[in-house]
Amino acid sequence: MKILVCIKQVVDPEKVEYNAQTKTIKRNAQYLMNNPADLSALEFALRIKDVYKDVHITTLSMGPAECESKIKELIEVGCDSCVLLSDKRLAGSDAYSTAYALAKAIEKLGNFDLILCGESSLDGETSIVPPQIAEYLNIPHIAFASNIKVLNIERIEVERKLKNLLFRFEVKLPALISVKKDSAFLRLPKLSFMIKALSYTPQILSVDDFENFDFDRVGAEGSKTSVDSFVEQSFEDVKCEIYDGIEDAQIECIADLVTRFL
Amino acid sequence: MEYFLSEEQKIIKKLAKRISDEYVSKVAIKYDKEGIFPKDILDLLAYTELTGVYIPKEYGGFGGGVMEMCLVVEELSRNCAGVAVSYAATALGAYPIILYGKEEQKKKYLPKIAKGELIAAFALTEADAGSDVSSIKTTAEKKGDYYILNGSKHWITNGGEADVYVVFAVTDKSKGPRGISAFIVEKGYEGFYCGKKEDKMGIRASSTTELIFEDCKVPKENLLGREGTGFIVAMKTFDRTRPGVAAMAVGIAQGAYEHAVRYAKERVQFGQPLSSFQAIQHMLADMYINIEAARAMLYSTCRMIDSGAKDFSKESSACKVFASDVAMKVTTDAVQIMGGNGYVKDYPVEKMMRDAKVTQIFEGANQIQRNIIASEIIKEY
Repeated sequence: MKILVCIKQVVDPEKVEYNAQTKTIKRNAQYLMNNPADLSALEFALRIKDVYKDVHITTLSMGPAECESKIKELIEVGCDSCVLLSDKRLAGSDAYSTAYALAKAIEKLGNFDLILCGESSLDGETSIVPPQIAEYLNIPHIAFASNIKVLNIERIEVERKLKNLLFRFEVKLPALISVKKDSAFLRLPKLSFMIKALSYTPQILSVDDFENFDFDRVGAEGSKTSVDSFVEQSFEDVKCEIYDGIEDAQIECIADLVTRFL
Repeated sequence: MEYFLSEEQKIIKKLAKRISDEYVSKVAIKYDKEGIFPKDILDLLAYTELTGVYIPKEYGGFGGGVMEMCLVVEELSRNCAGVAVSYAATALGAYPIILYGKEEQKKKYLPKIAKGELIAAFALTEADAGSDVSSIKTTAEKKGDYYILNGSKHWITNGGEADVYVVFAVTDKSKGPRGISAFIVEKGYEGFYCGKKEDKMGIRASSTTELIFEDCKVPKENLLGREGTGFIVAMKTFDRTRPGVAAMAVGIAQGAYEHAVRYAKERVQFGQPLSSFQAIQHMLADMYINIEAARAMLYSTCRMIDSGAKDFSKESSACKVFASDVAMKVTTDAVQIMGGNGYVKDYPVEKMMRDAKVTQIFEGANQIQRNIIASEIIKEY
């Protein structure tokens, strides 16, 4: 079984810097991290590989060369190969353009049985890249999965939680599934994989590698949406309530707060 | 400071540090308080393949040596020396097999130890035979295809938790130290029991117990090395594992120092942080100097051992003595800097000070180490 996991390198939100003029987030290599929701997707892929030994996991990322150091971390947990789609002509792409470029890369890389993505990226939060990739590739798509189980070589079972409801889907492969952020936590690396990662270089793709690539669909110019402005949010107005009292009263207050805000 | 570690060694240190910071730190206080054996952490170390760093490649390990083992111990000790010693005690039990095991013994035990499927232990000390190893009274009498072991061992790290024990017993009393032999004893052997669990001052997450042998039947093929070579097996093993105690000491000291520095920067007295007072600055500087010196000594000793040097008892003992004394001094000073907060259990330095003490005691008290060092110095000149 061939599994592809789309993994974006995002800027750590604690350290994010932006360029107000170009309206872009600065991708300083030292502050990059692999998008948490995508790592949940990767963990599902690794779990499938734990059970089925002939599984090959490829990861696909799109971004500047700085992303390479973070991509190596994917080899450290057991991915077989990693691909970085890196091309200056893709800079400024919105979700629509990104999905198109990723879909072209997936077509180029070959026939995958299962494509996994995180539900959204920390720095974009649109949640529309995964379904758009599926549309481009003309394969079924299930969003916001909380669990994935391979039934056999042709079918998988996908669970999605909605409050107290659990939806269970069965879908024929190939399919694309986007998973909820905290649905699985990525495992620790293994020493042997870390040694392998030392000398590993991801395969680099550029848009020149694709056939019939429509340049009008990518980059800032080809994007259908654009960032209007960055506005720093002030936290000065955040209200802080202090609940004093003995332990039981505090527990009651917490229970009340949880009920009110859930 | 990188100390010229190889890329692979840096990876081992980084991985161990991650486990220490993300997992060990979360359980250190609880495991210390309740005396919980850190099987879950050992399982993580097994998953990440750190349990096999010092095991030769042909037996399923990473193929590293004392340096690799010490890097893991050092990083685990930064957060909990009890966890670190539970890991290191398996190395102490595995080294006699690596050094003196027959091919069948190596093939049987080392791959499983490397994978973390077996926990090992080293059983030498007795009630009346601590530093005076030659006074052990446990006997092993050969009867047919078995050795029959009788006696008891005290203060055995990983006791009750280990699957495999390297046990030292007298096979010929008339020969003194040359009459001691080493045996591999598996958990579950007839006549082998685990006795009292010690209620210790520090390293409380580790298990320290008594072992009892009552007509314990050990197959003759479990004799390690030859009959009468047990004393050499023990001493040569200690030469390789004493740096592990030094690594533990360096890790404890490093952990306490990091807490003290952070605290000194945050704690305000007389309108300024503690770190702005020169009296505190000098204490922090001395901590740093001593830790770096101990670490440099430790790493150079590890490199010496792993280079294939023949005789390194003096260096091995010296780094253990120096690092353990540094750990005691640094943790005491960390408690001093943190004042009342250092003395209570809300912060980990109180635990670190308790943990540090044992590094001056076990695997040969520092007084015995000084005897070894002095004896080597006198022989040299």
